[in-house]
Amino acid sequence: MNRLTKKLSKIKSNDKKALVGYLVAGDPDIETTVELMKLFSSSGVDIIEIGVPFTDPIAEGPIIQKAHDRALKKDISLVSIFQMIEKYREFDDVTPLVLMGYLNTFIYHKKLIENNQNNAVDSILVVDIPGELKLEDYGVKSNNINTISLISPTTKKDRVKLIAENSTGFVYYVTLRGVTGSSNLNIDEIKINIEEIKRHASVPTLAGFGIKSIEDAKLLADCSDGIIIGSSLVQMIEQGSEKKEFDRIGKYITEIKKAIS
Amino acid sequence: MESNNNLPDKNGFFGEYGGKFVPETLMYALEELENTYNKLKDNNEFKKQFYKDLSEFVGRPSPLYFAERLTKHYGSGSIWLKREDLNHTGAHKINNTIGQILLAKYMGKKRIIAETGAGQHGVATATVAARLGLECHIYMGAEDVQRQSLNVYRIKLLGAQVHSVDSGSATLKDALNEALRDWVTNVDDTYYIIGSVTGPHPYPMIVRDFNSVVGEELIEQSKESFNTMPDAIVACVGGGSNAMGAFYPFININQTRLIGVEAAGNGLQTGEHAAPLNDGSPGVLHGALSYLMQDEAGQVKATKSVSAGLDYPGVGPEHSWLKDSGRAEYVAVDDDEALEAFHQVSELEGIIPALETAHAFAYLETLMKEFDDQSNIIVNVSGRGDKDINTVAEIDGIKI
Repeated sequence: MNRLTKKLSKIKSNDKKALVGYLVAGDPDIETTVELMKLFSSSGVDIIEIGVPFTDPIAEGPIIQKAHDRALKKDISLVSIFQMIEKYREFDDVTPLVLMGYLNTFIYHKKLIENNQNNAVDSILVVDIPGELKLEDYGVKSNNINTISLISPTTKKDRVKLIAENSTGFVYYVTLRGVTGSSNLNIDEIKINIEEIKRHASVPTLAGFGIKSIEDAKLLADCSDGIIIGSSLVQMIEQGSEKKEFDRIGKYITEIKKAIS
Repeated sequence: MESNNNLPDKNGFFGEYGGKFVPETLMYALEELENTYNKLKDNNEFKKQFYKDLSEFVGRPSPLYFAERLTKHYGSGSIWLKREDLNHTGAHKINNTIGQILLAKYMGKKRIIAETGAGQHGVATATVAARLGLECHIYMGAEDVQRQSLNVYRIKLLGAQVHSVDSGSATLKDALNEALRDWVTNVDDTYYIIGSVTGPHPYPMIVRDFNSVVGEELIEQSKESFNTMPDAIVACVGGGSNAMGAFYPFININQTRLIGVEAAGNGLQTGEHAAPLNDGSPGVLHGALSYLMQDEAGQVKATKSVSAGLDYPGVGPEHSWLKDSGRAEYVAVDDDEALEAFHQVSELEGIIPALETAHAFAYLETLMKEFDDQSNIIVNVSGRGDKDINTVAEIDGIKI
């Protein structure tokens, strides 16, 4: 069974909430990313979402944009990311790994995704394809990789149904109108929308995009199956990169994990 | 605003190009825009208002002018100039903004955003927003803010706010990224006026249709001026809106060659240029699949052109379709050739063209050899060159 599906069903049967941690591959460099991934999973992250750097990441706020830029300066591509994942899998063959990125880089590396050596990658989230479609619709076959689709507060009901049914990993509910790392969560709206998604989805619904504090994390976890933390982790990675001091990150993850448990 | 083929299809594709590749938050906004446009485009009141504004506020129709000395200079075929440079605000860009601001008004949007490269679209957007008293924000790459300072000041005079974008290459592509991010954030009350035939469906269709007034006028003016359809229309292509507006009504008129001129920057062979149709491959940028300048990892390449308005790694999807289908030809001229044409047209015709437009003129050097005396060639003079005076003076080593 796909690691993501397995992990999510285990979390659900234990009546727990999933914690997804995001980082950008190659920020500050590939070796450090592998170390950070280990830190993520040992501190309480259930699922690691790996950002695939792109020159024009239109859904990202300034924090993650800059991380993409830093990684691109190191010539990170899907080729080096697959190599990195292979290395990581030597240490950890349990934690689900999700690639998150933009269509253009994925269609350029069809073969890599089709091969998916040793099923190292569990899921792919493409930010800029309509949620009712899959990578397959763009000629990228990936039998053992499942799909995560986004639903936002502006998604109309007819499409909520289509997208929810199309998601085979989990449904990613974008909690606000904005880019990654924005603020202004409207909890009432979020609750109503997630309830609507859950009526159609056969997979769990996780929430992400605007979580800035332990309180936000708790509030969102209460109305979903789990949460995704991105910008705040990426910012800590940026701040710790020079001296390679990342202890804070482990503590932060553990605190969030505790708050949502 | 009549249609000459059935493209794009209902999903926004011109053959394999186009589509809607955007974050989910924008999907509904695009659907809402498409529905509004489809409802209004054949509405008589709407059309009446659009053409009234084009006539009374923009000053259309723009003349088709016989370029006597340029014609003599090449000594083969008659050269005619479609004078979009004479439009209010100085370029073809106003045609599209006049149409889109009417859509915004109809949709009840209170806030207008736009990206701009050379600044002409920024000025044209700020102009129509001022006219309707709407809040207006213009995103412009930091490098373009530098080289198009005159237009930056014009935008400010018109009451709009200019946001200098220093991410990425700090040019048009990054301004578009930032405008899209603004739209994602303020989608409920904001209308995004895209300035070219680029971006996600329905923009390439809407911008084409509003700009098609240029080609529609050309059909009438060609009959009046030389009694037949032209042998060729030449237009510069960045995103491709002035070319698309001139080409579209001629798609089924096979005697007219349609020629788009891209920016070869330092030269096509150097790789430092902005000519995706000549030296790119299909890829996804800013919501559409189209020819794109990209590396072997699918990353978008930096571009180079003396002209800010052509300094863009992508191109409108309908141009990609026209290229593959063979209906239009796409060539490229480099910075030096464009600058030479800039001076030549100024001296021979008393018209200082925009650096973008100078690319179209530069191609006459090659093209006119293919025509005889009986031929009629139209150059779409997409804009005037006032905004480029500082750039050209600096290249010529002159301090103003």
